[in-house]
Amino acid sequence: MKIPSLGEFEELVLLTVAAQHDQAYGVSIMESLEKKLQKKINISAIHVALKRMEEKGFIQSRFGGITNDRGGRRKKFYVITAFGKQVLDNQYTLRTSLYLSIPKISFG
Amino acid sequence: MNHQPPKRALKFLRWFCREDFIDEIEGDLVEIFELHYQENPKKASRSFWWQVILHFRPDYIKSFHLSDYLIQRTMLYINFKLAWRHILKKKLFSFINILGLGVGIASCLIIFLYIQFELSFDKYHKNLNNTYRVLHAYRNLEEQQNPITPEDYQVWGNAPVAEAMLRDFPEVKSTFRFTSDVEFLLQYKDRLFQEDHIIFADANAFDLFSWRMLEGDPKTALKEPNSLVLTKKLATKYFGNEEAVGKTIKVDGSDVYKITAVMENVPANSHFKFDGMVSMNTFQKYRPNVFEMWDYVDFYTYFTLEENTSLASLNKKADEFAKKYTKEWAQTEYRVAFEPAADAYLHSKAARQPGEVGSITNLYIFGAVGIFILLIACINFVNLSTARSVERAKEVGIRKVAGAHKSTLTFQFLAEFILLSTFGVLLALLLVIYFAPILQDMTGKQLNYQIFFSWQFGLIALAGILFLGTAAGLYPAWMISGYSPALVLKGRYGSSTKGLLLRKVLVVCQFGLSIALMIGTAIVFSQLQFLQSKNLGFKKEQMLILDFAWDNKVKQQMDAIEQTFLAHPNITAVSASRAVPGDFLPNAGTTIEDKKGEMTMNNPTIYEIDNTFIQNYGIEMAAGRAFSEEFPSDSLHALILNEAAIAMWGYENPEEIIGKSFRQWGKEGTVIGVVKDFNYQSLHKKVEPLSLRYEPRSLRKFSIRIKSDNLSSTLADIENIWKDLAPHRPFVYTFLDDNFNRQHKADEQFGSIFGVFAGIAIFVACLGLFGLTAYTTSQRTKEIGIRKVLGASSVQIVALLSSSFLKLFAVAMVIAVPASWFFMKNWLNGFAYRTDINFWVFGLAGLLALSIALITISWQSFKAAMANPIDSLRSE
Repeated sequence: MKIPSLGEFEELVLLTVAAQHDQAYGVSIMESLEKKLQKKINISAIHVALKRMEEKGFIQSRFGGITNDRGGRRKKFYVITAFGKQVLDNQYTLRTSLYLSIPKISFG
Repeated sequence: MNHQPPKRALKFLRWFCREDFIDEIEGDLVEIFELHYQENPKKASRSFWWQVILHFRPDYIKSFHLSDYLIQRTMLYINFKLAWRHILKKKLFSFINILGLGVGIASCLIIFLYIQFELSFDKYHKNLNNTYRVLHAYRNLEEQQNPITPEDYQVWGNAPVAEAMLRDFPEVKSTFRFTSDVEFLLQYKDRLFQEDHIIFADANAFDLFSWRMLEGDPKTALKEPNSLVLTKKLATKYFGNEEAVGKTIKVDGSDVYKITAVMENVPANSHFKFDGMVSMNTFQKYRPNVFEMWDYVDFYTYFTLEENTSLASLNKKADEFAKKYTKEWAQTEYRVAFEPAADAYLHSKAARQPGEVGSITNLYIFGAVGIFILLIACINFVNLSTARSVERAKEVGIRKVAGAHKSTLTFQFLAEFILLSTFGVLLALLLVIYFAPILQDMTGKQLNYQIFFSWQFGLIALAGILFLGTAAGLYPAWMISGYSPALVLKGRYGSSTKGLLLRKVLVVCQFGLSIALMIGTAIVFSQLQFLQSKNLGFKKEQMLILDFAWDNKVKQQMDAIEQTFLAHPNITAVSASRAVPGDFLPNAGTTIEDKKGEMTMNNPTIYEIDNTFIQNYGIEMAAGRAFSEEFPSDSLHALILNEAAIAMWGYENPEEIIGKSFRQWGKEGTVIGVVKDFNYQSLHKKVEPLSLRYEPRSLRKFSIRIKSDNLSSTLADIENIWKDLAPHRPFVYTFLDDNFNRQHKADEQFGSIFGVFAGIAIFVACLGLFGLTAYTTSQRTKEIGIRKVLGASSVQIVALLSSSFLKLFAVAMVIAVPASWFFMKNWLNGFAYRTDINFWVFGLAGLLALSIALITISWQSFKAAMANPIDSLRSE
């Protein structure tokens, strides 16, 4: 089976989802990424990334309970799947091995 | 926290966003909005909008297409199903409604076809707009006193005018002459027929007129003498499937003509018609002198103009031109005028036309009637539908309670009326397809209903259906779906009187029109009856006319043939003449000594007869004697005039003119008698001056007076005698009364068309009335119930409901009677002999309309009056 591709932004979102295990939802992911990356991020971009990764099977979602916040709308929590984790691992391995193959050149 | 994200943005998001994403997206957006709000409310709102718009992408947009399509289709289906059920539920009502609409549209379409046909006359000629014709006027001294009018001209004129015009007028490009119908006896092998509609025509016929040539060369077809161009009709008649071109055909037993071409039949929308053309130089060979004579009348002259010239310059030179060629005419003034050939059928006022002419006034009348009927039918349709939908207020109430939107209800009504109007239009088309061929036979007009099968018409019909359905449906839809459901269900809903006045005006118009048309029909038919029974001054019954078309062999044995006929027990008299009443007659310059003793020329029509004609026809003498075999010189030196003619020479007493000398067409002698005026022409005209001459050489038709018993066997005997005596002649006969009445065919058609429209108008008017009564009665159900409870009888209630109509009817009468009197008076003025308009005609038409109307009303009002008051009052 061909492993679906994982874009750069998707990778960031996936990492955040994995990090916030079971408590990740749109706004929390956005805030965390904004803090880490030090730049504005559009919530719509995160929604699109989440939707695509869910379709690819990297993450799963569940609805939270109804509260009075958020205009009475439920939160949608995401959690990484085993497959998602594996893709993340592969990506990490690939990056590391590529990184390690850089010859020791000093950049004076 | 009372800060809210922008409402519209939220609404928009909820509208497009898929159900399974709305929680996440809206929730997140609201959360972010709240965070931002604390910093900067305005920026938060803007950013919220922006975020919503960013989410407006295919991934999140719900699939409108599928679900809504399904719902709409289902709703459409259900609406039409419901509409169909409603139509079926009130079968009679729907039937009447559809029928009314169908009949209205159908009659309008048929009138449209008729008008279209009349307007299409001669349009198929490519050169029509550059084709003109010459009009001639011949006026005697007395007539010259008055200024010349368009009616003084005639189309029938002389031959040399054509060449003279080419010579004198540089503007004239080409001229074309043809003669009036000439009778030919044609024979090919065993096929022998008399042809009455063949003309002599100049060689350039096909340059001027766009008749399609099927075989043969149009350039040379009429060049040679004894050339004959046949129409397809005649070619098939004589040659069947054989090739006709190049064959010869025997003419009048002696001559031989060559078929040079076969052309398409002359279209029905041509102002002159013929079955065949013989080259003009054939005629010239027979009688070369007439081509030089300015007073020999037998030709119609058409011409075309050079480019960039107009009739105006010809008109200036016309008088001078006419005078130049008739200098030596002492008594008679000759004038010419010109008119476009395009005006020939509908706009020409000239006399002696080469063919039938139409009437533009009639077209206006028919057009107006057609539009009126269509309008009434449509408005009635709307009215009836509205009246009916009031009954459905409760249904609408329930639907509203169950949550129906106003728009859904409107659509439901629209569906129903669109369905109804579709049926109406379909019915109209069926009616047109069925009746058009019948009317085509009746009127002799070609009704080209095939145009209704074109896509253009389909679009118009579709637009019409939608418009009509919407017009009919919108009012009830608005009105009823606007009611408050609570009130409607309680049984109280407003009775609007707004539409009522309009409806009353309509009923008055409709009945006015129907009564007027009925009066018109009655007067037309009583006039026709009058014409039938009028004493014409001769006996037209039981007279058989046998046409032998100047055949020489017949003329040679005239006496023997007459004797053989007379030997038959059922034949009482036989005479021969050139024409019989109802036929076309020539005029002749006639010089007679007038009352002052001078020789004066006038131009009466002439009858060429034998010496038994006057007795046979029962024409009475006013003075002198009729031709007689006792005076052998009668055929050379005698002339008889009618009473109208003697006035031309200034005589009042017929006795005075007897014995005066005359000159006419190469004859000289004395006037021997005066006949009482008899109507030898259509009764539209007064009896015109007539001279009768005894001319054994010019006879053409036998008039055989027969006894009324055993008509068919007598007819068979005459045919057998004819076959024995003149085996080379076909047996061509008519009856004198048919021949005479043929002149009033147009009047009979006018009468029957009037009758049909009167019927349609009254029918449509009754529909309007039906709608009105249905509406008012349904509005007054409770009132009627209470009246009944209080002791009113059914009769009183019917009277109550009908009385308001009677007022309307009275108004309609007041309008219709003077209007129709005025119009019919005008129509009758077209006849020289006319019946008086009896006032019982108005009474009768009114009474008929009234009784039909009352029957219509009573349908509804009796139903209302007979109803049990409990039913109408209980629902409170």
